[in-house]
Amino acid sequence: MNSLNDRPARKAALIEFLRNIQRPDHPIDAIPEDQKLVESGLIDSLALLQIVSYLEETYRIDFRERGVNPADLGSVGAILDLIERGGA
Amino acid sequence: MTTMSMLRDAYRAISQFHENERLIAWLQDRRAVVWFTARRRRQILFFGAILAGAIATFRRQSQWKSHLSATGWLAPILAVAILLALLYLLYLAAKHFSRLPALVRRRPQIALHTLFWLIIVLAWIAPDEAGVWKTVIFLIAVSIPYLVWRCGYMLLSGQRGKAAGTSFRDHLFYIWPIWGGANVPAGKGADYLTQCEAQSPDAYTRSALAGIKLLILAQIWDLTQLLMGALVFSNPKNSLAPLLKGYSLEIPRARTLLANEAPASLLMTWLSLYLEFIWETLNIAARGHVWIGALRLLGFNVFRNTYKPLLATSIIDFWNRYYYYFKELLVEFFFFPIYVRYFRTQPKLRMFVAVFAAAFVGNMYYHFLNARNGIAAGELPNIWATLGRPRTGYCFLLALGIYISMLRQQKKRGKTAQPNAGTTLARRLVQMAGVWTFFSLIYIWDLAGSATLFDRVGFFFSLFGF
Repeated sequence: MNSLNDRPARKAALIEFLRNIQRPDHPIDAIPEDQKLVESGLIDSLALLQIVSYLEETYRIDFRERGVNPADLGSVGAILDLIERGGA
Repeated sequence: MTTMSMLRDAYRAISQFHENERLIAWLQDRRAVVWFTARRRRQILFFGAILAGAIATFRRQSQWKSHLSATGWLAPILAVAILLALLYLLYLAAKHFSRLPALVRRRPQIALHTLFWLIIVLAWIAPDEAGVWKTVIFLIAVSIPYLVWRCGYMLLSGQRGKAAGTSFRDHLFYIWPIWGGANVPAGKGADYLTQCEAQSPDAYTRSALAGIKLLILAQIWDLTQLLMGALVFSNPKNSLAPLLKGYSLEIPRARTLLANEAPASLLMTWLSLYLEFIWETLNIAARGHVWIGALRLLGFNVFRNTYKPLLATSIIDFWNRYYYYFKELLVEFFFFPIYVRYFRTQPKLRMFVAVFAAAFVGNMYYHFLNARNGIAAGELPNIWATLGRPRTGYCFLLALGIYISMLRQQKKRGKTAQPNAGTTLARRLVQMAGVWTFFSLIYIWDLAGSATLFDRVGFFFSLFGF
């Protein structure tokens, strides 16, 4: 299990991960929690798959029961909320 | 200021009129805009849905008259009543999703499709002696390809735990939308529509203006197609043909070349394929803009169905821009359910299986269900012969192309772009040409006509001189 216990630490780790999957022509600098990731061009919709894998591996979130809701992966804030709900 | 920059500014002002802040500020205070609140819009949409459902069912009866022994006003009314009851039961299933049996909870979409297929089978086996009831079952069965994906989104909402606080009217309006549309649900379901719904006069004005822009664009693409039909393809029935006084490039349609109905040089055949691809893209764009334009006018400022696909620089990019809501349907109902369940420790195999589940299996299944020949009429061998076999090639190549494109894109991501090292225009044009060529070529297996899968393989090789 991860050692990321608070929201700021989880956010920092998430931003670091997003940097690895960002679109080459849209580098991520400071990113507000409510900024839409795909719509603003920071990542493409394909990168959502990598976010799913990241959440499965890092936070053991299981998407099998509730399915993947793209809205839950739409912004940094939404992803952090999803982590806090444990995927529910 | 130069003439060029003045013209550029004028073009920008006209094409971006929907973002004109002065216009928005003026419009949002108009009485009609203030009156047309989200609550009122939803009420209109709810009653409109019942009316749209009734009209669609009466239309289906007249469309399928030759297959029905008993027709009249009673059968469509009974069919609408039963369909409404069925939709209400499905709404209750979504609302109380956690109380459903574990088997249904784990695979809600499979359960939904099984239920609908049972209705279709019932339509096949109902004897003629059942009279009006046979017609009722038939009318319900022919409505299924239109309803099944919309009901799928309702169940998906339940699965995500978002349907609990909703009412039946929050769902019925997109299941039987008054704007009609194709079997692909434009705007998806309640979750996405609610997220994009305008809640203030300012947001509604922006949404409505964006909708008007799309409706204008739809007209422009329709006109472009009309012009293309007369000027490029020399269609004598085209209403613009007399205006052009018979002048035309007379490029044959790709389907006539495939059927060997017209001789053409290799260059002309390639040109015909590219133009067919552009024609189809314009067609999808024009239709999609009408549905999304209507949705935006009704206050749902959702994504466009088609967004500049001809400028795409990769297969996956094109697939995202060409027919967005069909791609979303395949992703949400086929890709993600497979992706989160199987081969979780083998990333490449995991993606490969999920891509093929969506772009190949899902795509084939959607079109099989969509067949105009009529699933409800039980003409399965006929549907398979005319639609299934050739399309297998299209879907297979599409899935393969998407998978390879996804792998390539994944490799590119994460690399920070160097300043001034953006893609050069020449490189971008080469990438776009690659995308055009790929989709023009795989379209060979989607062209209308009686040519078999292998006839099309032969046609493909003939393009390279074999």
